Amino acid sequence: MFTEGRVEVDGIRARYLEAGQGSPLVHFGADLSTPSPAHELLARRFRVIAVETLPPGRPGSEAAATIGRIIECLGLTDVDFMATAEASTAALWFALAEPERVRALVLEAPTAIGAAPRGELERRMPEVTTPTLVLFGTADRQAAQDTGRVYTKLIPNSHLVFVYDAAHAIGRDRPEAFAEVVADFLERHEAFIISRTPTVIHP
Amino acid sequence: MKVSFFETVRYLAPEPLRPEWPVPSGAYDREAGAEAYRAMIERLQLVEELGFDWVSVSEHHYSPRILTPNPLLAAAFIAAHVKKLTIAVLGPIVPQSNPVRVAEELAMLDTFCQGRLVVGLLRGTTNEYLTYDLNPTEARGRTDEGMELILKAWTEPQPFAWQGRHFQFRTVSVWPRPLQQPYPKTYALGTSKESCEFAASHRLGCGLSYGTWESTARAGRYYREACARHGWEPGPDDVVYRANMIVADTDTEAQELFDQQSKQAPFPLRAGVRDALSTLDQRNVAGVPRAAIVNAALPTTFIGGPDTIIDQIQRCRDEIGAGVVDLSLTPPSSRDMGWLTRSLELFGTKVLPRIRGI
Repeated sequence: MFTEGRVEVDGIRARYLEAGQGSPLVHFGADLSTPSPAHELLARRFRVIAVETLPPGRPGSEAAATIGRIIECLGLTDVDFMATAEASTAALWFALAEPERVRALVLEAPTAIGAAPRGELERRMPEVTTPTLVLFGTADRQAAQDTGRVYTKLIPNSHLVFVYDAAHAIGRDRPEAFAEVVADFLERHEAFIISRTPTVIHP
Repeated sequence: MKVSFFETVRYLAPEPLRPEWPVPSGAYDREAGAEAYRAMIERLQLVEELGFDWVSVSEHHYSPRILTPNPLLAAAFIAAHVKKLTIAVLGPIVPQSNPVRVAEELAMLDTFCQGRLVVGLLRGTTNEYLTYDLNPTEARGRTDEGMELILKAWTEPQPFAWQGRHFQFRTVSVWPRPLQQPYPKTYALGTSKESCEFAASHRLGCGLSYGTWESTARAGRYYREACARHGWEPGPDDVVYRANMIVADTDTEAQELFDQQSKQAPFPLRAGVRDALSTLDQRNVAGVPRAAIVNAALPTTFIGGPDTIIDQIQRCRDEIGAGVVDLSLTPPSSRDMGWLTRSLELFGTKVLPRIRGI
């Protein structure tokens, strides 16, 4: 069961939903208008705190500072961090600015790359040390799936996942598939590429 | 002694590649790939002329180091271009394959090449588990069951169902069946107790690879003892030893070449993946636990001029019990094709004629 809260930082009053126990997973850019099945699945293993989208139009470094203060206000120090779509830009700036506070980064249908001209953030991506998972839905018509390869080329410890038959809101379209790979990555980081799926049919 | 040449396809990357497995496929150069497969056939025609007995291929993925992700496809292509060489598929990685499909394709291959096929069934090297999402803790069980199913598919004349632990098929009836009956000479590949036991209990050959003299000899001994327990005695052809060899005109030159080699795998796994895999992948030599080989270069056991190499091959026969050596001449990632050709010619002219009696 999610509970609702609000946090006020830098003149922004951000609504958030929270559920679950365990290590904190903070999600920025989430659509909080209806319950998300992916959040419910992730809340079985993590303390999920889904924060509504920050106002657009602020420089990435400023937005990153706001994220840092919101996390502080929530009483957290270091977190697993998930960002959807436009929030991925601020998330990457935050990982660059305060890497010790981001255990792992999950970018759902990110849009931080692709807008011309090639910006400062792309130039600095090779400095991101946080284990990073980048997900795109194969039916996504909003975010450019082709940019996935650019993230993984630029960010040293990063992995690209295509979620079949999901559009832009991957966690809503394929919640089980999304939550499984995200949770596995957050637990094992780069070792998540080693399968743990049992195939025994009959013992 | 029979001699096999382990063909790895020498892909010469035009640009240096990032030393990490998997190697990004975007770095693949089509021209270099086409040239590598063309040169492979030219090289194998030389191997055939020099009098080698076998050419072997094996399954490896996601890097240019050994460019045969489907060894059966490579074997079919090779078989169409050489006339006398025995085609040794050593082998498909059984735990991550559909065993029925493997049985069908090997039967096709045996028929294509008019019975010039030998088969090795393989558990696979540790990193290969990542290719098709194989759970490392299940690799042994899936290998044993898959091998059993392949043999059954080749020999059972009536359609049958398979109710396994890891595999389930409601009906199996492969066409074609192998040309060689009941099936091609088949090896269970691996130095583990389980692999040796499987080979012994099914009257298969045993393929040993890349151990030290001592550890490989221990595995060979274990296999022979297991065969005795099962009431039969393996012959020389029942034991294949795959190993790296550096042959040069003199011992000194060979040793210098060895000393220059990197002791690291050319495309290592990331540290976190390596450590996790090393924990999950339990290996042994004849029952004695050993660490999985992850990120280290495979050892080279044959090093020397022709006379020394002949002595080492005698030692291989005496201590390991191998009647077939499957040789990787120069590391698979070596870019020096001239060295490889010289090694082949040197071995073919100065060593091969003198080891037939071993």
